[in-house]
Amino acid sequence: MNVIILGAGQVGSSVAEHLAGEENDITMIDVDASRLAEVANRIEMRTLVGNAASPRLLEQAGARDCDLLVAVTQSDQTNLCASLIAKRLFNVPRSIVRVRAADYTAFQELLGEEAFAVDFAICPEQIVCESIVRLVNHPGVLQLLDFANGAVQLAAVRAERGGKLVGHPIKALRYHLPNVEMRVAAIYRQGVPIIPEGDTVIYPGDELFFLASAGQIPALLRELRPAERRGSRVMIAGGGNIGMRLAKLLERDYRVKLIEYNKQRAQQLAVELTDTLVLAGDATDEHLLDREGIEEVDHFLAVTNDDENNIMGAALAKRLGAKKTLAIINRSAYVDLVQGETIDIAISPALVTIGALLKHVRRGDVAAVHRLRRGAAEAIEIVVHGNAQTSKVVGRRIDQIRWPPGVTVAAIVREETVADEDAASPARKQKRVVMAHHDTVIEEEDHVILFCTQRRRVREVEKLFAVGFGFF
Amino acid sequence: MTTTMDLLASLIATAQVRLDVDASSKKRVLEKVAEAFAEQGCDAGKLFSALIERERLGSTGLGEGIAIPHARVPGLTEPRIAILRLAQPVDFDAVDNQPVTIVVALLVPEQATETHLEILSELAERLSRPEVREAILSAETPEALRAAFRA
Repeated sequence: MNVIILGAGQVGSSVAEHLAGEENDITMIDVDASRLAEVANRIEMRTLVGNAASPRLLEQAGARDCDLLVAVTQSDQTNLCASLIAKRLFNVPRSIVRVRAADYTAFQELLGEEAFAVDFAICPEQIVCESIVRLVNHPGVLQLLDFANGAVQLAAVRAERGGKLVGHPIKALRYHLPNVEMRVAAIYRQGVPIIPEGDTVIYPGDELFFLASAGQIPALLRELRPAERRGSRVMIAGGGNIGMRLAKLLERDYRVKLIEYNKQRAQQLAVELTDTLVLAGDATDEHLLDREGIEEVDHFLAVTNDDENNIMGAALAKRLGAKKTLAIINRSAYVDLVQGETIDIAISPALVTIGALLKHVRRGDVAAVHRLRRGAAEAIEIVVHGNAQTSKVVGRRIDQIRWPPGVTVAAIVREETVADEDAASPARKQKRVVMAHHDTVIEEEDHVILFCTQRRRVREVEKLFAVGFGFF
Repeated sequence: MTTTMDLLASLIATAQVRLDVDASSKKRVLEKVAEAFAEQGCDAGKLFSALIERERLGSTGLGEGIAIPHARVPGLTEPRIAILRLAQPVDFDAVDNQPVTIVVALLVPEQATETHLEILSELAERLSRPEVREAILSAETPEALRAAFRA
């Protein structure tokens, strides 16, 4: 594919890295020559310095031959304008545009074919907020990801002493939870992946990725960790866009306090957020935290736009007795440094965003891509097309398919027609989760959820699922 | 099968033919294909999208420099063919990773029938013969190119 990426920031370079060396020609545009040079040093691609929303520069970048435009510069305006130019002047078939400001995303009609012609808009703020809310709702989970529109979830959990399964082999789950269909997709022990088998014993500190039907995650959590209350008190540090959105999402179900440094902004937030207690002050001030009952707080969420502040605030809150601490950390190097030790969960907006972006970047009919373990592994949901003649997977048992190394099928979501007992009413369609076994046969229209521990193999997965020539 | 053969013969007789088309990428080839069909009254934009979407699921590059992009088109009443011979070979994600020079595009109505599959496989069969490809590559006129398929 010919791909043009606008913006050499974290997301832009992640996409480039992802696509590089996969039979893709990549061209990247950025105004900052030195940043561009730095990325080009690591990744094989062509670079152009300049305004990404310039028709001439886009043409020079090969927009006429471009299959995919990824507009992820710092500026929403540049991204939107570039998408429009790419569509109108150069007929680029697919555009993915990062739009940060809710100001734009609130008006969906702006993104349509008649307006800015954006095929897929990615709003990091929204994705980050949604993922934080999930983690607040599921204490003990490090990452919780949706497949098949939420019918199946993948959870990352660190095993701790006190969980019923800890110290026992995975197969013991069958006796503990006989009616729960689940699949352990991967285990990382001291950062190293080990292949989960029935006899694999779970140790404290193991990081497990497991898939289960939505709703069964809490039961499985109790197998891996001592029981935890969901808690009712949330403290948010930082009243920027993310802090405000979070408060709005959480204030109905939790008692929320929000600390904002800027007095004016705090006043504005106090008006906007009817059920949140807004405090003007410094979230790294231990006296303030103390006064506001930090030791009673169940979730401390540090979401200012400053990494250091977030880390310090969350570390302090944890020391002062907050039960769970979470911090937004933009610099990926910091994430590994602090997660699990200083603070409980570090969220990298770029990593969270990249998954949402990648599903539109892959070839084939990909419904979801999630990056795990800071990008070392990937979970992919692919919709199967073709029949036994035109597909290499349809009509075959899982053990008859030649999977690339490191790829395991975790589950299949299948839409089944359920005949109603009342013959007069039409048959209903219902999604069913099939945990994959070696003899499970893949059917057309299945959503196959794969776990890929070697990211370099993803292209091979695409080829495996590609339809043959005879497919209409 | 004779009916399929007859149908294919008439489709080729009425096919849009373009010799030595300048296109620098797969995307541009599909644009040119859509433009060729547009002269028969199809909506080029919609066609382009349909062809792109089909390619996304798997390339129609057959190998040996041949591609047969195809798509179902809502509202179309009978199959149509356009044949493009490219001035320079173009990367098409083909199975053999070889660039493509001969592009035979096929549009069929939305409703699937066995005939469509037969046309597709018959086209592939003829293009798999080296003498047919030779004749297409050396044809000097659209008429000569159409005749190559009858060989």
